[in-house]
Amino acid sequence: MNALRWLCLPVVCLGLTACETTSSRSSIVLTGDPLVDGPAAIRNGPARDRVLWQYRMALAYLRRGQYPQAAAILDQALARINAIYGADKDAKKARNLFQTESKKGFIGEPYERVMAYYYRGILYWHAGEPDNARACFRNAQIIDADAENKSYAADYVLPDYLDGFINDDLGGDGADAIKRANENAKMWRPPGFDRAANVFFFVDYGNGPAKFATGEYSQELRFQCHDSPVRSARVRVGGRDLKAPPYDDLCFQATTRGGRVMDHILANKAVFKGTTATVGTAAIITGAVLATQHDTQTAGLAVMGAGLIATIISAATTPAADTRTWESLPLYLSFTFAQLPPGQQTATVEFFDASNRTIAGLAKTITFTVPERPAVPGSGQTGDVVIFVSDKSTTPQTL
Amino acid sequence: MKTTWQLTLGMMGLATLLSGCATSGVKNPSGIPVTEMRADERGFVAGTGIESQDIVTVADKMARGLLSVPEIVNAKATPRIVCLPVKNDTAFPINKDIFLEEIMANLNEKAAGKMRFLARERMSELEAERNLKRTGAVTSSTDPNVQQFKGADFMLTGNLMGTTTTTSAGRSDYILYSFKLIDPNTSDVLWQGSHRIKKQGQSDAVYR
Repeated sequence: MNALRWLCLPVVCLGLTACETTSSRSSIVLTGDPLVDGPAAIRNGPARDRVLWQYRMALAYLRRGQYPQAAAILDQALARINAIYGADKDAKKARNLFQTESKKGFIGEPYERVMAYYYRGILYWHAGEPDNARACFRNAQIIDADAENKSYAADYVLPDYLDGFINDDLGGDGADAIKRANENAKMWRPPGFDRAANVFFFVDYGNGPAKFATGEYSQELRFQCHDSPVRSARVRVGGRDLKAPPYDDLCFQATTRGGRVMDHILANKAVFKGTTATVGTAAIITGAVLATQHDTQTAGLAVMGAGLIATIISAATTPAADTRTWESLPLYLSFTFAQLPPGQQTATVEFFDASNRTIAGLAKTITFTVPERPAVPGSGQTGDVVIFVSDKSTTPQTL
Repeated sequence: MKTTWQLTLGMMGLATLLSGCATSGVKNPSGIPVTEMRADERGFVAGTGIESQDIVTVADKMARGLLSVPEIVNAKATPRIVCLPVKNDTAFPINKDIFLEEIMANLNEKAAGKMRFLARERMSELEAERNLKRTGAVTSSTDPNVQQFKGADFMLTGNLMGTTTTTSAGRSDYILYSFKLIDPNTSDVLWQGSHRIKKQGQSDAVYR
């Protein structure tokens, strides 16, 4: 009879632990198209994933040449990531022993936030607001400034370079920024400024880093770097060939920052989980041995119960790292520019492999119009044409 | 026997408590009601950048400053002012028109008649209307062939400059809001007003 009562205990405990509140959200069937999945996920999915979907949608719009839509959705994401200071209920949950890191509202790792600002900067410049574009490039570099490994803090090339370029273009002094950009350039040094340039190409290619987790309890966040077949690009426009070599490598950026504060929290969770599991198992075994003796049966059962509780606590502890990823990001970022006369122009962008051979099937064609220079400089209309093109852009595009 | 049952009940209670820690319930099932706030009030959603309360504070200060400029106060004829786009040299993208709109609205409310603003940002529409009048497509109460668009007596310019520090202790942003009233004939700076705001914050550890 006694044994029956004690057998009931774990069953009741398991039953109780299963009494989790279920989410009222309906499940989402993913199609692989961010512009189909994103709205559905934002509408019906967890709010904590909203920014991730906004990132994905913005880049998808950008690659289709739908710049206003990309800007609108990126603004929503940036509004969220700018308001992360102070107390946050979801963030507090993610620190809890019994909640995973992915319970926090996604804003992305620093390289992902940098890219959100980088793309918004491109869109501001495209919209004729170079000073707001400069603000975004500046913020992109600032986001990378608090790296644990100070050798790799604020070491992006293009954000500094573009900050300086626009500063120079607006009549300021961009010398410091270009100096920093050149110091950080590990692959190629960006070209000198040209105030006469009026058409600017942002080119990116390759597949950005993927996140995965290692460790006994998946508590260690890691980045997987893909070897890109595309190693450089060339823009052919107005009878000129403009090189677009890689200036920034997102995988390098993702993997060189050093540890996060959250890594220490997850490591502590993992230690707690391991310790409680060991103590629980030892207590159950010891208790079982004691319970076989008539004199120590009560004490043995109590020790078994304590071991069971410790095991339940261990099972409920979740140190898993957050591996949600903005997976559509590129690996390499590039930039080039030209001075073109007013009128309609067509640019062809080709991508090359490590042996400098053209990769078939990736060429993109963009038709755009170069306006007359504005009569009044500083009127807010720059006359600049800013074009984004990726090896994953749709083609042809008419802007 | 009594001790065993007490122990059983105690463990069940503890298990219930622990299982509660692992639940992922529906957050705010009833939603959060809309909270109306004053534009000059710091809300519960805040960052270290340029926010509504900064815009209101800066615009109010600049409008009051402009009203004390002798060239405006003692002008014999109502001076005409053109607002040039604000230059943003911070790390925060902003809607640049909002500062000047706020300043203009403040001045028009508080000092209507002491100064007039010229709607240069609407020149293309204004020229189209004038051309319609000139062609006789629409009526005109004055001779449309006479140039009536007014030139500026003063120009109002704004500059936002900032510096940012980011360390493991958090982020600190300092922004200088500076506005100038310039005489376009002489390039004299007749008035300059400024306001400084410094904000610091640190995100939750899960974001660091």
